[in-house]
Amino acid sequence: MLRVDPVTWFGFARIFFFLIGLVACGRNARMDMLYAERCIACHGPGGRGDGALAASLPSAPPDFRDTVQGKSNNQIRRIIAEGRGLMPAFEPALRPAEITDMLQMVRFLSREGRDLAWWERFDTLVVAHCNIPWETVLGYDEPTDTKKP
Amino acid sequence: MYCRSWSVIIFFLALAVGEIAGAGNNPGPRQTGAQRRLAAVPINDFALTDQQAAPFELRNLAGQVLIVAFAYTTCPDVCPLITASLRQVQIGLTREERKQVHLLTVTTDPEIDAPKVLSAYGKRYGADFDNWSFLTGEVSALRKVWQNFGVGVKRKGRGLVDHTPLTAVVDQKRLMRFAYVGPSPDSKAVLHDIRALLLEW
Repeated sequence: MLRVDPVTWFGFARIFFFLIGLVACGRNARMDMLYAERCIACHGPGGRGDGALAASLPSAPPDFRDTVQGKSNNQIRRIIAEGRGLMPAFEPALRPAEITDMLQMVRFLSREGRDLAWWERFDTLVVAHCNIPWETVLGYDEPTDTKKP
Repeated sequence: MYCRSWSVIIFFLALAVGEIAGAGNNPGPRQTGAQRRLAAVPINDFALTDQQAAPFELRNLAGQVLIVAFAYTTCPDVCPLITASLRQVQIGLTREERKQVHLLTVTTDPEIDAPKVLSAYGKRYGADFDNWSFLTGEVSALRKVWQNFGVGVKRKGRGLVDHTPLTAVVDQKRLMRFAYVGPSPDSKAVLHDIRALLLEW
């Protein structure tokens, strides 16, 4: 009977979370669903600001291909979480992982039909990197042994 | 020959039916404004909670014209347009009119719309809370209000609700007189209705 001590289990858990983070890199159905439910009415199916409601808005929603490139992940995350103009603040309704999904979806759409600069090809990895619970993976949250003299 | 001419007729009939069916499936351009309808619905008193977590009672607004909108803060559809229109209505009121008119936004998603969330939402739209209250409460209390105004509410998911996009104009005797159904009620038309009711009183 193979017996594995808790420290080894913890190591397995770290590797598991790391792999989950890497697998989460690609566009998935959850992102598409979130986008269809919360964004498509204004931003349109391709993120070009041509949704069914766009004509009713006082100012046209942006084309992601023009605006997203110049924004950091934190800036986009803040817009999704706190809203801007008539766009609702989604933070009260969505979990942080869902906001990350929305952020990645916006990045995907902003790339469509564009010649990418070479560094932008790594955007997905950067977002995935931010999505990994590093405190858990690297053990930052482990209590340190403080030996008082 | 006879059989062939019948088959030609049937072919063209089938084409015509296909065209009609196709036209029925085409949704066409989306409606951009709200439809204004006359109404005569008595509105009952209700007690809810406002954006400052203070108790709100409708009877405290006796003798005032009410503009009542139904919306929720995380709505990715028509609610932002309704709230933006209401803000235009509030801006359009004179100082004297503001004392006689009160705006109410009643949430259709109490699960998310806590007073704090409603307060942040109102501030983002520049709402002046002196004569604009954002209301939430227990589902049972809200359901009575929704039903009284004829607003259907159906939860689709967390922070996603289907509801009737109603903006109602209620006179000083607590009778809903005008119902704007749809996004972006025309602020000028709403102001016109408000002034007509103020003159009547």
